[in-house]
Amino acid sequence: MINFLFLLTLLIYLAAGIFQTLSLAIGARTEALMIRPTIEQIAFWCTLIGFAFLTVFIALWWLQQGHFPMTHWTDSTAFFAWAITLIYLIIVRLTHLRTLGSFVMPVAFIAILISYSFATHTAALPEPLQNYWLLAHTTLIFLAYAAFIAAFGFGLMYLIAERKIRRKTDTLFDNLLPSLDTSDVLGYRCAILGVILLTMGVIVGSLWTQYIRDVPWRWLDAKVISTLVTWFIYVGQIGIRQLWGWHGRRAAYATLIGFVAVLCTYVGVDLFLDSMHTYR
Amino acid sequence: MNQLVSIGTSHHVAPIEFRERLAFSEEQLIESHQYVRESDQIQESVILSTCNRVEVYAVLNSVRTPEAAAKVLAEFLSRCHQIDTESLKKWTYLHHNLETIQHLFRVISSLDSMVVGESQILGQVKDAYDTSRAAGSTGTILNRLFTKAFNVGKRIRSETTITTGAVSISYAAVELAKKIFNTLEGKTVAIIGAGEMSELTAKHLVANGVSNVIVANRTYQRAVKVAEKFKGTPLAYDSDLNFLIDADIVISSTNAPDYLIKRQPLVNIMRKRKHRYMFLIDIAVPRDIEPDVSKLDSAFLYNIDDLEAVVVSNLKDRQQEAIHAEQIVSEEAKRFYDQLQVFQVNPTIKALHQQFRQIADTELQACLYKTTLSDAQEEAIASMTQAIVKKLLHHPMKNLRGAVNDGDADHGQYVQALQELFVLDVNDETPE
Repeated sequence: MINFLFLLTLLIYLAAGIFQTLSLAIGARTEALMIRPTIEQIAFWCTLIGFAFLTVFIALWWLQQGHFPMTHWTDSTAFFAWAITLIYLIIVRLTHLRTLGSFVMPVAFIAILISYSFATHTAALPEPLQNYWLLAHTTLIFLAYAAFIAAFGFGLMYLIAERKIRRKTDTLFDNLLPSLDTSDVLGYRCAILGVILLTMGVIVGSLWTQYIRDVPWRWLDAKVISTLVTWFIYVGQIGIRQLWGWHGRRAAYATLIGFVAVLCTYVGVDLFLDSMHTYR
Repeated sequence: MNQLVSIGTSHHVAPIEFRERLAFSEEQLIESHQYVRESDQIQESVILSTCNRVEVYAVLNSVRTPEAAAKVLAEFLSRCHQIDTESLKKWTYLHHNLETIQHLFRVISSLDSMVVGESQILGQVKDAYDTSRAAGSTGTILNRLFTKAFNVGKRIRSETTITTGAVSISYAAVELAKKIFNTLEGKTVAIIGAGEMSELTAKHLVANGVSNVIVANRTYQRAVKVAEKFKGTPLAYDSDLNFLIDADIVISSTNAPDYLIKRQPLVNIMRKRKHRYMFLIDIAVPRDIEPDVSKLDSAFLYNIDDLEAVVVSNLKDRQQEAIHAEQIVSEEAKRFYDQLQVFQVNPTIKALHQQFRQIADTELQACLYKTTLSDAQEEAIASMTQAIVKKLLHHPMKNLRGAVNDGDADHGQYVQALQELFVLDVNDETPE
């Protein structure tokens, strides 16, 4: 039952990813004028339904496991996708910029795909980690990641739009991308949101270490260092913007670098380095 | 059978000298509506008179051939404007039935306009129709036709992109600015030098929300003169370009032989304005702005050729779109024409049915009055008469409707013949 629900969620996310990409790819071309709104609508509904299904799945999985599921890759990537979708839906609610979905929903789909490929696996959570600290810490961190991914989406939109404007030969027909100003400012706000969430997540995490003495803790944990690097990349970007007014293309590139840093922290560290944060 | 016809002239076929002679002033409109109401040949009419076209759409009564229709309309026009029929023949076009519908749909969709996709024509036709309707010159057919035409106009504007994409340099500049800035509200535009094009562009920008205008000129008096038009700030400049610190959009069109805005000074200015975006439009020839400026991160430079290229490409897109729009027009015109035929034949069919039934009824009553029959027998005879009427009318009606649906031009004659042979009193104004 729960597996079937998961498969369904995966398929809906696949549809959402495909329709989101399609609605951008066909652009505002004439032939597409009639069908594009429909495609966009389908994509958005797929996103909403997929998000609802994923929420139910995580809740059921939680009940079945008896604790907040955050031990195996399957738990973590599903939660990652959930966080990305949540942040995306909040942004759509606030700005009505559905185009962002064409950039972030494929990422969410890949996360679910990874999760699904491990779906039958479970891993025991050590007793001392089973508490609300885990929930608070990981939720904050994953929402921060999701905000960074939204910033990355805006960065890409900025770069594409800027390229079109600078190349000049492009017609003014495709008005799907927001103005440079909009992408730039929203990307910046997402980065700030991410930094706030990440900072809170790290603080919660370090407070948590004060409470667990049974699990060996080392400050030079690969994940901790990598997270700090990511944090500095975003804080640096925000600081430079405030101080010297760096924005636009440079800020967009910074969100791309930040995206790579997030991926390294999230996936890379687990695969190549040893860390106490490792998923099994 | 009524004929739907139109006569008209437009920038496609006639020079301005002729169009202005044909244009209707307000008094002339009132007069001609008066004339239409008194005329027994012109049943309905709508007069459209804009600077690019003058057209009369009319429904004519008791006119059988297109030639006769042309004569009626030509007489009408020459009466209104004292124009000899020779020049009318030379400079006007005449449309008949389906062509009229098609033409009106094309006009309203701006496919017949000087700039395909322009939006004014829809309102102009609407005004013309409202005036004619208020004057009591329209009836069922033109009311239907124009209601349909407005729908077609809207459909084409929503289902094709003929109206999108700037087709003038000044609008292209506005659209580009909107792609860079989140909003134009609160933005500042600086006009350097003077010129029609830069003023027009500034006007469009202000209409789209730009709130501050700086007008810079070598001579202060000139700057003041232009600034008055926009309630802007005039200023004289020599080599100091510091006023650009506040400018989000710069339009330059001076006669300077050298570059006025060079890269290095602009770097400093950009730093002072904290690298907020600057959109520079260079419409001067020779150019005013060093091309290298476009390499700055927050500066976007378009020269006259770039804007021209945008316009040309948009125009090409509109042409492409127009093909699509023409298809919709033909489709809709054909469909409306068919509906109109059916609509026009219906009253005749109805009248014929009524007459037959009435005769049958009268005869039945007379017959029953003379005899004594049981209820069942009476009923049998009544239903028999009904059946006879139905069967008698079956083939004529089937063939008439068939002729209409096949687009057979003869069906008008059928209707005429039926009306005359059976002395039918057909009321054309019967609503559905």
